[in-house]
Amino acid sequence: MQAAAATRFRLPGWVRVAALVLGIGSSLTLVAGLSWMARQEVDGLSTANSDNVQWGLAQAQVELLQFQLALEEAEDDPDRLGDVKRRFDVFYSRVSTLDRGEVHRSLRQNPEFGALQRRVASFLEDSAPLIDGPEPALLAALPQLGDHARDISEDVRALSLSGLGIFADASDKQREKLALTLALLASFLAVLFAGLVLLAVSLARVARVADARAQEVQHTAARLRTIVETSLDAIMMIDRTGAIREFNPAAERIFGYGLDEARGRNAIDLLLPAEEAASLKDGPLRLFDEGGRLPPSDRQFELTAVDRAGRRFPAEFSVGSADIDGDRVFVAFVRDISRRKAAEDGLTEARDRALAGERTKAEFVAVMSHEMRTPLNGLLGSIQLLRDEELNRTQSALLDRMEASGRLLLGLVNDVLDLAKVEAGKMKIERRPFSITQLLDGVVETTSPLAAANSDELSWSWVGPEREGAVGDVRRIRQILLNLVGNALKFTQGARVDIEVEMLGPDGGLAEFRVIDTGIGIAADDLGRIFNDFETLDSSYARQAGGTGLGLGIARRLAGLMGGEIGAESEPGEGSLFWLRVPVGPPVAVPASPKGTTSPARPRLQRPLDLLLVEDNEINRFVARRMLEGDGHRVTEAVNGRAGVDLAEARAFDAILMDISMPVMDGPEATRLIRTGRGASARAPIIAVTAHALPEEVARFREAGMADCISKPINRGELLDLLARLLDPEAAPRDAAPSPEPEADLIDEAHLSDLLTGLPEASRATLLERFLKEMDEAIPRLAAAPPEEEGLVAVVHKCAGSCGTFGLIGLRTALARIESAFKRGDAVDAAELRALADLWQRSRKALVTWRLPA
Amino acid sequence: MSFLSRSFPAILTCGLFGLPLAAQSLPAPEGEPLLTVTGNIALANQGDAAVFDQAMLEAMDPVTITTSTIWTEGVQTFTGVPLAQLVDLLGAEGEVMMATAINDYTVEIPREDWVENGPIVAFLNNGEPMSIRDKGPLWIVYPYNDNPDYQTEVIYSRSIWQLDQIHFGD
Repeated sequence: MQAAAATRFRLPGWVRVAALVLGIGSSLTLVAGLSWMARQEVDGLSTANSDNVQWGLAQAQVELLQFQLALEEAEDDPDRLGDVKRRFDVFYSRVSTLDRGEVHRSLRQNPEFGALQRRVASFLEDSAPLIDGPEPALLAALPQLGDHARDISEDVRALSLSGLGIFADASDKQREKLALTLALLASFLAVLFAGLVLLAVSLARVARVADARAQEVQHTAARLRTIVETSLDAIMMIDRTGAIREFNPAAERIFGYGLDEARGRNAIDLLLPAEEAASLKDGPLRLFDEGGRLPPSDRQFELTAVDRAGRRFPAEFSVGSADIDGDRVFVAFVRDISRRKAAEDGLTEARDRALAGERTKAEFVAVMSHEMRTPLNGLLGSIQLLRDEELNRTQSALLDRMEASGRLLLGLVNDVLDLAKVEAGKMKIERRPFSITQLLDGVVETTSPLAAANSDELSWSWVGPEREGAVGDVRRIRQILLNLVGNALKFTQGARVDIEVEMLGPDGGLAEFRVIDTGIGIAADDLGRIFNDFETLDSSYARQAGGTGLGLGIARRLAGLMGGEIGAESEPGEGSLFWLRVPVGPPVAVPASPKGTTSPARPRLQRPLDLLLVEDNEINRFVARRMLEGDGHRVTEAVNGRAGVDLAEARAFDAILMDISMPVMDGPEATRLIRTGRGASARAPIIAVTAHALPEEVARFREAGMADCISKPINRGELLDLLARLLDPEAAPRDAAPSPEPEADLIDEAHLSDLLTGLPEASRATLLERFLKEMDEAIPRLAAAPPEEEGLVAVVHKCAGSCGTFGLIGLRTALARIESAFKRGDAVDAAELRALADLWQRSRKALVTWRLPA
Repeated sequence: MSFLSRSFPAILTCGLFGLPLAAQSLPAPEGEPLLTVTGNIALANQGDAAVFDQAMLEAMDPVTITTSTIWTEGVQTFTGVPLAQLVDLLGAEGEVMMATAINDYTVEIPREDWVENGPIVAFLNNGEPMSIRDKGPLWIVYPYNDNPDYQTEVIYSRSIWQLDQIHFGD
């Protein structure tokens, strides 16, 4: 507070100094001037030009009297005439001094004095001839001289008194002047004294403030010293040359050197290992060369330090610098971080071990799941083959059990593999157009046997506006829905399970599927944990129905992967509602699903086929061969891709079944070689046989030249259907839903087929989607526009071009006619423009429902 | 100028530096005596006193000073024997000398004034001898103009004119 108050009234330093100098200077000048004046006055008194003028004047009277005495004595004694002469001369000298002396100038200027003086002088002039004359004459004239002297004595007396008066006046004046000067001097000295007192007071105050500050500094220093001495970190002060100046107790403890030993030694040489110090000169230690002017981040670093006993330890340095009396010093804080380092290392190691363990476990699970499927496939395939044998009822029932158990086991293994894939981040979500109707039809169809077994009624329905086309990963959505519906059916006996679907969101880009049952319901407490892994609410049931409890956990993960959500609501005793919300994008046209739904009637190929089976696994090979041979086909086996290529080269097969992962040469490579070669089977369709094909993998297979893909374990029906579709299109039903006949004059099917064949499905969908969007925007605009509107011709031209590309010949002809009219400058009929809208709607429908011939 | 007067300084010098003090002597004045020195002195020529005439003073290496005085008009020259020289010659001792004038005026001149460039016993004013009426024949004159210290009342009072006697000591 005190310091603050002092600062508030403080002027700049130079101003104060200047004022002080000015004050003192002018004071000194004044005092000097006044002193000089006083000195002049005093000198005037002391040098006196006056020589005791008064005394001199009085002396004139005395000397005149002595002259008169000498005259009288000489009258009695003529021998004393010489005395008369001498006394006369003395008196003469006195008076002539009055006449000529500088000191008497002021007197002579006084008229009264002057008159007297002249009378005395004339007496002297008159008497001088007598005095200087012969002695007898002088002797005779003595009485006469005596008379004259008597006469003049009054004048001399008056002269003396007059002089005294004049000098008294002058002296008075001079004294007054002196007194005035002295008074002035005194008053000024008083002022000066007051100033000095003021100065003394302010100096005392300054001294007091300085004292307080000194004390404060002392306290601060004491506090700092306490901090430094009690610090757990080593603190040292190092000078410019690197020599240690201060070394606190913690530094002594950490480095083992006493203060006296350390002081003056070079910090780098003393505290860092020699070989390291050299290499650090360009690193962190360049700090010292650059005078500590480094960004804060460079002032903190970790180094290896060495103590007196030679122990090396990691140390954390924090170095700052300061200027003390113009000398740069560094203050270094050093912390022994060996314990921290050890802890960090331990933690890192533990974490790495744990992560490695996790990875190993996940890999193990994935590998095991995968490996378990191969023998399972063998088992299931063999069971199917066994059914072709003649079996009695008991055997047939046992076979049913075996197959059911096998499928259950396969489901479990697939679940675990899914989970492992999701956890490992290897699960990829694909986005492609699909039909919601087909999806739900399929789900109902797949689960209807279970519904029938539980006497449940199962159906699905739209809530709100219907919508056909959507974009998303239909496989994963189906997987989730099957799980939900499966659960609902399991817990519902003789009641209803409804599937509802509703489009949500502002643009209808979100599909909500609801699976509603009227079953036993779930307690509120349990609702939260049913989506956890390995969660089965009813353990007795789980044992009975089988199940890993992974289903909903996987469903939750899949929903999350797709950017969707899954949840449940339930009233115990009244039933449950499970919902799934997935983003499905804007409506799109749905190309025909390559697989479609399973057709109720199994098509049969009417002729036996000559097939090549490329598969490294002997069991798989055996099962497949038995399935195909059981259907009347002929099968040639190859144990790897290389062997397959050789066989395909030599012989023309109707079709080739190709495993993907094989030793020597894998499936895609073999396919490429077959396709690019000029062998006998270069054009034969090749079917990929794979365990769990990911969408991008399928794309890769197609790229290699494979026609289609079938999953392991091979389902006999699926395989035969596929073959029928690939080799005998006539026999295979194209689609469950009847395809409306395209209007012939609307679409050039050949052109469209040319365009879309060979394009990957995804690109096809995107292309279509973009085209539909473009036209959906442009056509209504054209239809509503007045014919005179500017810029219409450009839109017409663009639309005509696009229609040409997609083979919409009807629309393209109409647009071309309008464009030509525009260009010719003919009037365009507004009705003709309006007609475009209807034409487009019909063309659009034809395009959307058109399917690429398989 | 007589032989004696011409050779006096040489004799004086021989006497001062060549002979013991007691054996020295001062020649007797031949002209009218102007100055009688008494008191604590080593040399004498009339009983205990040393008497000087004009010629003796002239023979003593006189000096001339130029100054104004408060008793005269304008700048003057004064020629005479420095008081210090007189003191040296006579071997005078004591702290003070008493100077007395014809008119019985007496003044004390302390030892501090018996210095080089100090007062002289003047016998010529503007090159002329001084009559009694002109404050002669001897006048102790200080170099007032050369030394401001000599411009004081005390010094003026010591500037005794019509001087005829000096007595060393009380």
